[in-house]
Amino acid sequence: MDLSAFAGNCSARLWLDPRTKLIMLLVVNIVLIGGGHSGVSTVIRPLLALLPLLLLLAEYKFKPAALYFIFIASAMAAETFLVSRTQGVLNLIIVIAAGLLSRFVPVLVMGYYMVTTTKISEFVAAMERLHLPPQIIIPFSVMLRFFPTVAEEKAAISDAMRMRGIRIGGKNSGAIIEYRIVPLLMSSVKIGEELSAAALTRGLGKPVRRTNICRVGFGPIDYGFIIFTLSLFFAWIFY
Amino acid sequence: MDNKLQAKDLINVGIFTAIYFAVFFATGMIGFIPVLMLVVPFLCPLVAGIPFMLFLTRVNKFGMVTLMGISLSLLMLLTGHPWICVPFAIVPSLAADLILKSGNYSNWGSMRIGYIVFSEWILGLFIPLFFMRDSYFAGLREGYGDVYTDTLMAVTPTWVFFLIIGMIALGALSGAYLGKSALKKHFKRAGIV
Amino acid sequence: MIKLNHINFNYENSTGACGLHDINLSINKGEVLLLCGESGCGKTTLTRIINGLIPHYYWGNLTGDILINGKNVSKIPLYETAEMVGSVFQNPRSQFFNVDTTSELAFGCENMGLPAEIINNRINRIAGDLRLKDLLGRSIFALSGGQKQKIACGSVAALEPDVFVLDEPSSNLDAEATRELKNLITLWKSQGKTIIIAEHRLHYLWELADRVVYMDKGRIVKTFSGTAFSRLPKSELDHMGLRVLNLESLFNAPLSNFQTSATNEMLSLYDFHHSYPRCHATLNIANASLPKQAVVAIIGENGAGKTTFARCLCGFEKKCPGTLYDEGACFQGKDRLKNCFMVMQDVNHQLFTESVFDELAISMENEDNDEVLNILESLDLLSLKDLHPMSLSGGQKQRVAIACAVASRRPLILFDEPTSGLDLKHMHQVAENFRQLSEMGKTQFVITHDPELILAACTHVLHLQEGKIQKIYPLDRSGTYEMLSFFIDPESIIQKKAV
Repeated sequence: MDLSAFAGNCSARLWLDPRTKLIMLLVVNIVLIGGGHSGVSTVIRPLLALLPLLLLLAEYKFKPAALYFIFIASAMAAETFLVSRTQGVLNLIIVIAAGLLSRFVPVLVMGYYMVTTTKISEFVAAMERLHLPPQIIIPFSVMLRFFPTVAEEKAAISDAMRMRGIRIGGKNSGAIIEYRIVPLLMSSVKIGEELSAAALTRGLGKPVRRTNICRVGFGPIDYGFIIFTLSLFFAWIFY
Repeated sequence: MDNKLQAKDLINVGIFTAIYFAVFFATGMIGFIPVLMLVVPFLCPLVAGIPFMLFLTRVNKFGMVTLMGISLSLLMLLTGHPWICVPFAIVPSLAADLILKSGNYSNWGSMRIGYIVFSEWILGLFIPLFFMRDSYFAGLREGYGDVYTDTLMAVTPTWVFFLIIGMIALGALSGAYLGKSALKKHFKRAGIV
Repeated sequence: MIKLNHINFNYENSTGACGLHDINLSINKGEVLLLCGESGCGKTTLTRIINGLIPHYYWGNLTGDILINGKNVSKIPLYETAEMVGSVFQNPRSQFFNVDTTSELAFGCENMGLPAEIINNRINRIAGDLRLKDLLGRSIFALSGGQKQKIACGSVAALEPDVFVLDEPSSNLDAEATRELKNLITLWKSQGKTIIIAEHRLHYLWELADRVVYMDKGRIVKTFSGTAFSRLPKSELDHMGLRVLNLESLFNAPLSNFQTSATNEMLSLYDFHHSYPRCHATLNIANASLPKQAVVAIIGENGAGKTTFARCLCGFEKKCPGTLYDEGACFQGKDRLKNCFMVMQDVNHQLFTESVFDELAISMENEDNDEVLNILESLDLLSLKDLHPMSLSGGQKQRVAIACAVASRRPLILFDEPTSGLDLKHMHQVAENFRQLSEMGKTQFVITHDPELILAACTHVLHLQEGKIQKIYPLDRSGTYEMLSFFIDPESIIQKKAV
């Protein structure tokens, strides 16, 4: 996954409150990884697996959506129909492959959706609305903001290494980890120090409740998604 | 010395978490070469030892290591990793923080152990493959009967789990030394530490 | 009203940065104060005292009082100072906290806990005042250095402080962005803000300054009124190690006697085309001839393709199909990677080893200790050979990179903004390095916004415009005129003529 994806500034086509996305992510995470193959689970799991598909379609990401659909549909179909009709090694392979795919892929796709459609400022705003303390919000937001910087530094260092002829297989391959990481740390630390100084002179850390200009709030679509997700979740828990 | 975390400390946590994770992630990429996948639990904490040891030079208050664990766990959660990562990042990082604090964040012995404990957060990424299988298998048993389930249980034996714990610990221990030598060789001489 | 009484300061772990000795200064409300002096004279340290970063962020031994509007800045927490003093720093890349521009403008106000409505109003007003409207809502990582700096200024202005402190704000800016910075400072001055600027590039500022403080070794040596300062003769400025005040005065400067060993041989380029996805800057050069063994300054507006050209020439861009011919020998991208050496703007990215000596040794095909020592000697680096490259000063690091280029025996050396943020003395040192490399028969390309450097050390100018070569000319009398005309604001020439 591309870590700098968080920096992406293109707004989502279907705007949802980050908290809605978070609820969906959590429920998909818990239910699909938690598993269950009997009773009401056989209905709830496929329904929840539809969520990422819907969201991908809403963002016009048709190719990933199609791929996702093929993967999940075949994995779930295999779990339902093939497992009981095959034997031996083949059975084992199907159980493992279908089990892993149907559990982890929907969650990963939700993560992908979350990361590519949410701006960092929206995250921060949502976290502030959730009343998380600044001790968690500040490190987390700095981390997200810093990934693209690390990526930029890494690219520049890689260029320099190529120019100097330092590469795997070259005469300096023994020290390649050192050459790659040490300058990266040096320049990242320096940028980090300047970043701290700049943030402090802009009043970060003032013991008042921070405000946020970022628009977050639930709309009708948010409520729709939340009710759908949560009712499936409670059904899964209680039945 | 004021023991409350200042804005500056919080920013430092964020910056070093980003660097730590970037290094960790880049190292983990070699897991895409299938044979090397098995050494990822060893290699990642080894290489990430360099940024972590550098981070510890900026830490002198309780809470910073814990917050690093929390940031990592939130990142894991948002990028679609199993939710179990969250407790599995917070508990080891809190324990590591306590261990490091007992050494005043400067005792080499507690730094080594602290980093080993901290690194065990990686387990959270593997855990669904092991312990959550119980619920998985329980479900399977209902659906498909005992034979299949037992074969599957045999493929992922519990000792592999302990092997991973051991690999992480060994990787982290070597990583602590690697980090220490990088500090001495580069960062001290460059005037950064 | 700002008052500094008997300020003494030493950094706790000093790494080059200079302390301060017995600084006494009072700055009136609405005054524009320019701090100048050579690198390491303490002007940055002084700005950090005023914005409170010393002693709250950079630790050390501070004595004396610093009062802003009656408040002792070294005693109150930084977030209180933040409401009175806004700070803009040198490096546009490291001073933003958010990834999109609008959030960055709001950042300070959000920290203060102002209601969202007021913040939005302020952003609107500032976007109008500072002409930031078309930058709103964009990713900061996609902005140029000049645009980033504008956002930084806007973000500070949104807090509506009485005092602005700017620490070498133009270091990484091109001519156009520098002019915009000047307009911005003029605006703040007209609003009655107190402005304190530490700066090397003086030509855009001297008209605005009410008072100029010249510092040396952590002390205030001289104070001039703005008008007195502007009348200082060039010789006096040279003596003080200060950059030129008036770019127009360069028209009368004697031609550089450095009319080189450039032969009449030429390098030919074919098919240098390149474009980046989601970026309008493209390079489009079908063919061109460049003088061999010359020092060619690459100039052009922001986005003209200077950096892209240099990156393609070096072979960094794998997709660029270009070929370079040198006396019949043909170099594709990969060959050029082995024959070119780029001294990057941030040299920290290209120094890898634990000592200066090792740095040169890994640059060589076959390590040769004597050769390493010779090169170090010739670049005045011998005494530093066992030090860690990262512990050196900026200028020294740059010389180490140059030494690596020499050690690797590459015929083509490129420089990306080698004098950004350098004072006069260090600029001349860079020029001296160019001369040495010329004597070795190297061909050099220099991306630069610094007309003084071009006059001091370049032989030719390559003017890029919209990804194409607008013109290549030697720096003779008419070439010099043409080059300077590019850098000097056409309006200011017209005004001068009218007077």
